[in-house]
Amino acid sequence: MELDRALEAYASVASWRAGLQEQWGGDPLAEDPHRLESLAGFCAYTGLDPDALVAFCFLRKRETKERFVSVARRAELAAKLAAWVAERALPARESRQLSADVLSFLIHNGVMMNAGVARGSAGGQPA
Amino acid sequence: MIFMELRSVLGGRRSIRFFDPDRPVERAKIQRILEAMRIASCAVNAHWLRAVVVNRAEIPAATLEALKTPVAGLVQELAPVHIYCYLDAGVVTRMKGARLKELVDVGALNPTHGWSHRFVDEFVYPQILEPMTKSPGYLVSSAFDCGGAGTQGLLVAVDEGLGACWTAFNPVPAKELLGIPDDWVPLYCLNLGYSLESKEAGGQRPRPAFEELYFEGRVGKPFARDPEVVSELEKTGMLQTPAPLPGRREEVRALARRLALPE
Repeated sequence: MELDRALEAYASVASWRAGLQEQWGGDPLAEDPHRLESLAGFCAYTGLDPDALVAFCFLRKRETKERFVSVARRAELAAKLAAWVAERALPARESRQLSADVLSFLIHNGVMMNAGVARGSAGGQPA
Repeated sequence: MIFMELRSVLGGRRSIRFFDPDRPVERAKIQRILEAMRIASCAVNAHWLRAVVVNRAEIPAATLEALKTPVAGLVQELAPVHIYCYLDAGVVTRMKGARLKELVDVGALNPTHGWSHRFVDEFVYPQILEPMTKSPGYLVSSAFDCGGAGTQGLLVAVDEGLGACWTAFNPVPAKELLGIPDDWVPLYCLNLGYSLESKEAGGQRPRPAFEELYFEGRVGKPFARDPEVVSELEKTGMLQTPAPLPGRREEVRALARRLALPE
């Protein structure tokens, strides 16, 4: 899928950047380019641009039009993420990092997602 | 000295959210936690709290996923031990005052305060306890007791050098996994393990102002907080440096990277 503009020009990516800056200081998207690469890869896999990925997780209540995170949509996206990561057939830690990058994007856009755990590596050095 | 130890346990407790997922918890420590729950103060000696200990590694992967809640999933995934806590709503009508009479027998409840076996059989059970089980507030008051017992276990976990965090859980898969009787009410899960966070875990968490919570004589008149008492509690470790401590963000970031978690 071809994006119609640079990844960083999407509002959701700007939100992600702002969230990361507020949380950790600096400019994590610039410092760790793999984050944007991971998101770009998942966008290509799903055929959705970053804003559409976020929008996919939200629905509106019929009566009040109130916006809410859909459990079913969230689960669907989590399954797609797991499938995409599995398809890449990376070493376990790289797989988890890939997944964590995309989860970070969604979390900073208000879509709560549970991460898996790097079991067996807790005693290792920070990456 | 004993107060100092108790106070530092109270003051050092944090809800720990980063556990070493691969380090098991010694069985003796779990037993001590359960022993502390069992000796908790309890209305009418009913003991509503029930707990089921499960090693997370023994939970089938699909069931563990189903047990997770949106906000606590990672804690459940990381903690090597889960203690699922329930309220046994049927205990009062099963016991019919028998445990109160045990208190009479051992001299905890005495005629000095109006207690006798006959008082329990003819008044307390039929006119107070049995009707209480049908009142709308029954589960609230019994859950209060379960909370007290659970907290005793939580504090022993801290005393044992463990990290701990209460979380909700999805009761449907838990009922099937754990064989929960129909009249047990799901409460919370005590997640246990060795903490990957520093001892201070970022500092004592923000709390509402003392005067906002506690009153003297009448609501609206705050219980006056004596600074000397505050100072003494700071010295004995019950009141500790409030969060955020310097370096907390860095600590969390290092943990995120160690476990490959989202930042």
